[in-house]
Amino acid sequence: MADSLSPQCTSLKQEYDSCFNVWFEEYLEPSLATNATEAQRTAHYQRKAEEFQTRCGKVYAEYQNCIQNAVKQKGIEPLLQQAREEHPLREPLPPSAPPSKDSK
Amino acid sequence: MHFFSQVFNYEHPWSTVVIGMWHKYPNPKCTHVVSIDVLDRTVDPKTGIIRTERILGCKQKTPGWILALFGGSEDAFVREISFVDPVRQNATITSVNLSLSQFATCFERIQYSPAPDNRTSFTQTAEIQARMTIWRSAADGLERWLVDRFEQNAALGKLGFTDVLRTLEDRLEERQTTPA
Repeated sequence: MADSLSPQCTSLKQEYDSCFNVWFEEYLEPSLATNATEAQRTAHYQRKAEEFQTRCGKVYAEYQNCIQNAVKQKGIEPLLQQAREEHPLREPLPPSAPPSKDSK
Repeated sequence: MHFFSQVFNYEHPWSTVVIGMWHKYPNPKCTHVVSIDVLDRTVDPKTGIIRTERILGCKQKTPGWILALFGGSEDAFVREISFVDPVRQNATITSVNLSLSQFATCFERIQYSPAPDNRTSFTQTAEIQARMTIWRSAADGLERWLVDRFEQNAALGKLGFTDVLRTLEDRLEERQTTPA
């Protein structure tokens, strides 16, 4: 697992990453995308979103407390703000070019 | 302005590749990425889409003339926004450099979507552009250097991610065959 940009945050970061990774593998549940009804899927994602908060919410908050400070201290904050203004990216971008179909 | 694009398939199903996204680093083939932090993550309970904002810390050997002209250091940061849509099975990643961004931007987009035969198509495009306000030949030099770094890192990224996916696939298969 990669380190945090701030050594003080690395252990919280890795704890959060582990929590997310375990949750995410269950979240994707490949069979769900193809075999479930829409209602089943909606119920699954709702339940999983809540579960993520319950399972990883506490360590996420502690990690954010640490990393948001580190971002300020490293002087990255103004660059980050500028990037957020230029490209908010609140929604996925539309696909740029359709991938060619027969690429190997 | 320079454009870069490549399309190919990974020999793994979409779900493996998207799980692998979070395991790509640290990677012995991509040692330029030294840190990763999540700055924001939301899970939309209605659509199931996960949006993640991360910041990647990179170390690159930067030529002396770039440091002299533009300042900066060997520590560079990149902002990355990803969307994972589990219903439509689509993942997109958009990245832009924070360091040197007053002078030049490298705007990269990656998309992972399912391809026939349980494979996953990877589409990558990048636009590398020096901002207009700087001296032309310095701008060209900076742009060229960024393009070279990008192309090199893109090739290493493919190699490195292929290794990660192979290992991950083994682990996922093992998990499926082992009774819980």
